[in-house]
Amino acid sequence: MAEANSISGKDLREMFIAATGWLEKSAADVDALNVFPVPDGDTGTNMLLTMRSSIEESYQVANNSVSEVAQAISRGALIGARGNSGVILSQIWNGLAQGLDEKETMNGADLVECLLLASRTAYNGLSNPVEGTILTVIREAAEAAKVHAADVSNDVVSVMGATVEAARESVANTPTLLQVLKDAGVVDAGGQGLYTILEGALHYLKGETDQLKLRRPWMVASSVPLTARPPQMVGAMDEIPYGYCTNFVIKGTELDPEKLLKRLEKKGQSVIVIGDNSAVRVHIHTLDPGDIMHYVNPLGTLHQINIRNMDEQYRDFLEMQKERMPEVDTAIVAVVVGEGLSQVFTSLGTTIIVPGGQTMNPSTKDLLQAVEAVPSEKVIILPNNKNIVLTAEQVPALTEKKIHVVPTRTIPQGVAALLAFDYEADLETNTVNMYQAQAEVRSIEVTRAVRATRLGRLDIKKNQAIGFLDGDLVAVGDKMEEVLNEVLERAEPDKAEVVTIYYGADTKPAEAEQAAAAIREGYPQLQVEVVKGGQPHYNYIASVE
Amino acid sequence: MTVKIITDSLGDIPAELAEELGITVIPINIIFGSINYRDGVDLTTEQFYDKLEASKLYPTTIVPPIGRFAETFDKVAEKSGDIVVITNSHKLSASYETAVLAKERMKKKCRLEVIDSLQAVMAQGLIVMAAAKAAKDGAKLDKVLEITRQGLPRAHSRMAFGTLEYLRRGGRIGKAKTFLGTVLKVSPILGIRDGEVYPFAREHSRAKALDYLYEFADGFTSVDGIGVEHATTPTEADELVKRLEARFPGETIYRSRVSPAVGAHVGPQVLGVAVLGDRDQP
Repeated sequence: MAEANSISGKDLREMFIAATGWLEKSAADVDALNVFPVPDGDTGTNMLLTMRSSIEESYQVANNSVSEVAQAISRGALIGARGNSGVILSQIWNGLAQGLDEKETMNGADLVECLLLASRTAYNGLSNPVEGTILTVIREAAEAAKVHAADVSNDVVSVMGATVEAARESVANTPTLLQVLKDAGVVDAGGQGLYTILEGALHYLKGETDQLKLRRPWMVASSVPLTARPPQMVGAMDEIPYGYCTNFVIKGTELDPEKLLKRLEKKGQSVIVIGDNSAVRVHIHTLDPGDIMHYVNPLGTLHQINIRNMDEQYRDFLEMQKERMPEVDTAIVAVVVGEGLSQVFTSLGTTIIVPGGQTMNPSTKDLLQAVEAVPSEKVIILPNNKNIVLTAEQVPALTEKKIHVVPTRTIPQGVAALLAFDYEADLETNTVNMYQAQAEVRSIEVTRAVRATRLGRLDIKKNQAIGFLDGDLVAVGDKMEEVLNEVLERAEPDKAEVVTIYYGADTKPAEAEQAAAAIREGYPQLQVEVVKGGQPHYNYIASVE
Repeated sequence: MTVKIITDSLGDIPAELAEELGITVIPINIIFGSINYRDGVDLTTEQFYDKLEASKLYPTTIVPPIGRFAETFDKVAEKSGDIVVITNSHKLSASYETAVLAKERMKKKCRLEVIDSLQAVMAQGLIVMAAAKAAKDGAKLDKVLEITRQGLPRAHSRMAFGTLEYLRRGGRIGKAKTFLGTVLKVSPILGIRDGEVYPFAREHSRAKALDYLYEFADGFTSVDGIGVEHATTPTEADELVKRLEARFPGETIYRSRVSPAVGAHVGPQVLGVAVLGDRDQP
């Protein structure tokens, strides 16, 4: 279709066909993203089947007003909805049908109205709407469409373009809203599916038939660090039974969807009940589908009963994930403590973090377990503390895997080593490169003296601030920030380029910023970065490179 | 009859050089807001980055329709019966598939071969330029094809990025998504491997990132072409060229600038080096 100001009923149908074709190309990829509410890996397929049912139904109407076609699409989705995402999708098309009621054609303003209604209907259909899912995506897309139509252009293609762009951003942002996505390092599958459908529709509206034929939909990349959970934690989830995904339609005369929803919420999770007093579609995750059937049987006649064992699905899903897991040739196990520092290490590609550090040294067994858990036969260990280096060096003898220890004695050395990790290189080369890189960085640690002592020429009172340079005590004072500066002076700051300051759990961000400002003033050529490390004991850890 | 070479604008070959070597460049389309520009034709790199800075919009790119490719092929076929089309990696754009389909739609009868460079930016450019030089020196079609295919595994590139946001938004981030969301400010070094964007290294400062680019090129034992390209930082590029000239005396170092269509995906501050040659490390 060439660019036009309004969409006819025929266009709407063709647009849905194009969008479905577009979704079909990436349905398997969408399946692989699926971790919420249940990682059963069928979101893409379910959405696709729901879309197909809509299209079939849309051919049943002869009259080509958008109203008729949208009603048919909505009806088809309700009948054919599969799974959580399919049911929510059917709610979205229900909103579309409401917005186009009695309309011959659809213009930009109608599209905005439809999206807003779709968003509202989708939220209303759920007993417990969760953000970071397809719901957020339709809502934010609708909001963006409204703003675009008001401020930029209400041309239908232009509005759709803004909708797609907003949907993509919204999908990328889902892991910040939903922890389970963040843990799995994926974006929301249903959101990605909806985005793909909208994008397919946009390609159609723009007349980009070549695109639809030649291209595949892009999978949206997450906008937050991909902190994939260690595999043994995924394994632990095995033990929680998911039960049965139960779907059916009740037809009757005096059905009460609201009452039914309230009842069913007590009997399972992910409950969705939609429909009117003559037909209701139910979706529920339950450990006892028989109980549900027994309950609803007297209410009317049951149709399209579909019960699937989600534990089986989940096992299949795990297998599928394993195949898709990015091949890490060499895995990295690092000993780190503090939320911020852990984030730094994971965001730089650490496979597993073993919590530990000063005064909380992990055992050889802790390290061995981590090594055994990573999906790789070659592992590099970063102990990041001088008291843990020896422990780490015991590990290679205890496992079949090939283990190298890069004996980092401080956090800055660990970070420098990680930055030198080369995805292309083999274990030996990486070990050498990382060893060299960690040796080039100077490490500063500032903490509080736990008791009075005398060390060389330094007289230290209890609770005074003390500063270490590469492990050696070199400064003492009353203020943490002053000590930090004093140690830096000894670290040849004139030859350095970058100073990174990780401030601890007991340090206020404002104090850290002040310390950084003082350093910037004293050494204008230095690039000073402040990062929340959240580590205990050390008020400041800093690297000088 | 000279074999003619056609490529898309994602190879970042400087316009003068393309003309000198008789390379036909098909411009990729850039969509900025709702306006469609032809890469390097309606929009220069300068204008592109000015617009990028001034507007909050994220541009997108689209390969021209099959018909446009076919038209170009037919036009070139009027001058020569033998044509080699070398495209951007099929994992990064639809250029290759479009060219293959356009071949079927040509009106003129001629020998036309489409090769997927599995590369982008100047690495693609160097492969294309090597083919064009051979053609200019009188190599026949089979010889040009042979030279091109031999060049494919020898073309390498590395780019220091200022931000990965554009790659992420455009969906071209590939395996480099492991570099996303890094808490520390680092300069990512990316390149292309197996036809897609690949994360090669992270440096803790821009200066180190530029050193990396030099050392990457320094690691080649024999060199048949070097290109340096920038987006918004010409001084850095000039400096790198100077260092490389000292390391590879007598070698012409092609100086280029990322095209707007490439810029839409790599963003500002990108600095890249591409080498056609051999090195010890794979």
